[in-house]
Amino acid sequence: MRAAPTLAGGFPDISELTVARQAHWRRWLTAAAIIVVLAAIGRAFANGQIEWVYVGRFLTATAILEGIVNTMVMAVLAMALGIVLGVVVAIMRLSPNPVLTSVAAGYTWLFRGTPLILQLLLWFNLALVFPTIGIPGLWSARAVDVMTPFLSALLGLGINQGAYTSEVMRAGMLSVDAGQYEAAQAIGMGRLRALRRIILPQAMRVVIPPLGNEFIGMVKATSLASVIQYPELLHNAENIYYANSRVIELLIVAGLWYLLVVSILTPLQMLLERRFARGSLQIAR
Amino acid sequence: MTRLSFSVGFAALLALAPAQAAELPESIKQAGALRLTVNSTYAPMEYRDPATNQLVGLDIDLANEIAKRLGVKIIWSETPFAELIPSLQTKRADFIISGISDRSSRRETADFIDYLATGPQFFVLTENAAKTVMDLCGKKVGTTRSTSFPIEIEKWSKQNCEAGGKPAVQYVPGENSIDVRNQLKQGRIDAAVQGSETLPYAQQQEAGKYRVLGEPFSSGYQGIMFRKDDTALREVVTQHLAAMIADGSYKAILDKYGLGANAVAQPMMNAATQ
Amino acid sequence: MTRPIVAIRSVSKAFGEFQALKRVSLDVWAGEVLCVIGASGSGKTTLLRCINQLTSIDSGGIWLDGELLGLREEGGRLHRLTPQQIARQRLKTGMVFQRFNLFPHRTALENITEGPVQVQGRKREDARAEAMELLRRVGLAAKADAYPAELSGGQQQRVAIARALAMKPMLMLFDEPTSALDPELVGEVLSVMKELARSGMTMMVVTHELGFAREVADTVVYMDHGAIVESGTAADVLGAPREARTQSFLSAVI
Repeated sequence: MRAAPTLAGGFPDISELTVARQAHWRRWLTAAAIIVVLAAIGRAFANGQIEWVYVGRFLTATAILEGIVNTMVMAVLAMALGIVLGVVVAIMRLSPNPVLTSVAAGYTWLFRGTPLILQLLLWFNLALVFPTIGIPGLWSARAVDVMTPFLSALLGLGINQGAYTSEVMRAGMLSVDAGQYEAAQAIGMGRLRALRRIILPQAMRVVIPPLGNEFIGMVKATSLASVIQYPELLHNAENIYYANSRVIELLIVAGLWYLLVVSILTPLQMLLERRFARGSLQIAR
Repeated sequence: MTRLSFSVGFAALLALAPAQAAELPESIKQAGALRLTVNSTYAPMEYRDPATNQLVGLDIDLANEIAKRLGVKIIWSETPFAELIPSLQTKRADFIISGISDRSSRRETADFIDYLATGPQFFVLTENAAKTVMDLCGKKVGTTRSTSFPIEIEKWSKQNCEAGGKPAVQYVPGENSIDVRNQLKQGRIDAAVQGSETLPYAQQQEAGKYRVLGEPFSSGYQGIMFRKDDTALREVVTQHLAAMIADGSYKAILDKYGLGANAVAQPMMNAATQ
Repeated sequence: MTRPIVAIRSVSKAFGEFQALKRVSLDVWAGEVLCVIGASGSGKTTLLRCINQLTSIDSGGIWLDGELLGLREEGGRLHRLTPQQIARQRLKTGMVFQRFNLFPHRTALENITEGPVQVQGRKREDARAEAMELLRRVGLAAKADAYPAELSGGQQQRVAIARALAMKPMLMLFDEPTSALDPELVGEVLSVMKELARSGMTMMVVTHELGFAREVADTVVYMDHGAIVESGTAADVLGAPREARTQSFLSAVI
């Protein structure tokens, strides 16, 4: 039996010593500096020319609460429209038919290439181009009667969102392994059925976290609809300060509500992400 | 004449007395410039000339003339209507001359030197069936939502329509006067309300398109708005404005924009009754 | 006169510059097990995929059960079939992929019933009963409600075989079914395939498993550079290959 190898000499045995706790003095210093700055900002706001009593008074005003409801309703509906359009356009974009691909590419280019506020204004003022709209022989109506602020906002926000969602969906669909589509074809599925039952459900796993993010953005984007008279939160806050000149106070009221909504949605979105982005080893129904 | 009314009259006169030569505040003298801000979507008071994109208008001309007489230049900026009063409060502007109406609700922290007679006025597209203002009861009437006109419309509707058993006017908000005229053209609203000073210009721009109904249904004044404590600036500007009225240059500017009929005999302070 | 289940006549296929198949002709007879061997790039997988039209051919023709695949003749010219018609032609074949390609969002049982219910319009209860039978046949009845992520590679491949069988094809295509498996899992899949062969299913298997070929194959085909070099019984091709290229391939892999 061989003897245990001897170790070269000269190295001290420090196995009995413990490691001392680090002082992290630089971190404490930075933290203190930041706290001082934040406190100064807070104090400036408190002593500034903001009449906080107005903030408190209007925080739960009827018009404000109605505004929040309208904001959320529009956000949900426009997002739903955007998702439906996004799926349809993504499928068209990946179609073997060149006409469909071009239309899809054109739609995405047009609605991502122009500012959202411009699109909202165009929808609202559609009557300048088409005073009457309808289906020849079946139904016609004045464009101004159809394009109410609500519908203009819904179409403007939803169709714009669809252009962005379609890119997310396309990436999601392309991320599904090509073998899945082949396996679906091998059991006789046509393209649309394979997309619907096999590809899209798997794409959803990849797509839902970024869509959650888009929804949070949509909640804030609804504020643009204020210029076409949709009575969402910002619009209603503006009306109040148009009457009482308390501009900053009402903007703070609106800002606080947006912050509240987003602060609730963000952890929900993170939960969504964790549930869906779990590794392929943990796919639950 | 009672002692009280004598004192009041004397005080009012004193407030406008040109006898004491008021001085330009130090800060403006040192800067050599007045900082003024306007909401440039309000032809013919202040707007951007479509051909040259230059800032032009009645208020611009008046202010330029006043500044010339004060020996300073003007640094112009633009802002939405709703930001005019905050601009004054935060001293971003030295005073406001931007088609803003003298109203008691605005006099909490400011004083007005009234320089133009005005009032909200109904108008329709020429082919509209309405013949008189009473035809507007129950109809959709639009105006810029950031102005005081929505309240004026509501008051008028209560007094003239609802009081007589007729349906109330339906108010439809717009973002600015261009948006409102747009809605009128599209038929989203049946009639619109704008300050009477804007209508000659609108009718000139689009000849034959609009028809005014009745007279301005509430008479008031456009005022130059000053901070309450800014008495020196207010007095010196008033002096020069009075001089301009006296020597005819004021009337000339008004005539240039077809608003000779809206002239005031002299500058008045806080004279509007709304 | 009987005709082959699959008749491949002068089929060529190029991917860009690369000629994957060069005028290949081959017959596959009912009930036979045909193994295709060869190095990567020899065209064997491409040939297999042409039979269920996952890959389209450039020239030549493939007849499956007497029907020309992907094309119809009319007025002396060839016209492509519609995607729907091609999908219908695929129902006659079942394919087992190298990477299993099970649907991860469906259980084993659901993977098997997906085709019969959705594509063939069979009743869900009937499809389920038949699926359970197939799972029993491949030895995985206990795993009916398991998701693919919970199954080993060998188990997944056996489910994949059951999925293909559920469509009641007349021909089963296997594309290197054991190449992606850990060695200890290969055996369970080969057993299933042997049982399938014994039951009389027509099978075309692209494989490196020469032991399986020797044991089960009726015909072995050796391909190289897009062409069939040698074909014959397993004993002949594997035991006493005539062609020099076949010999050097076999000596390299054994």
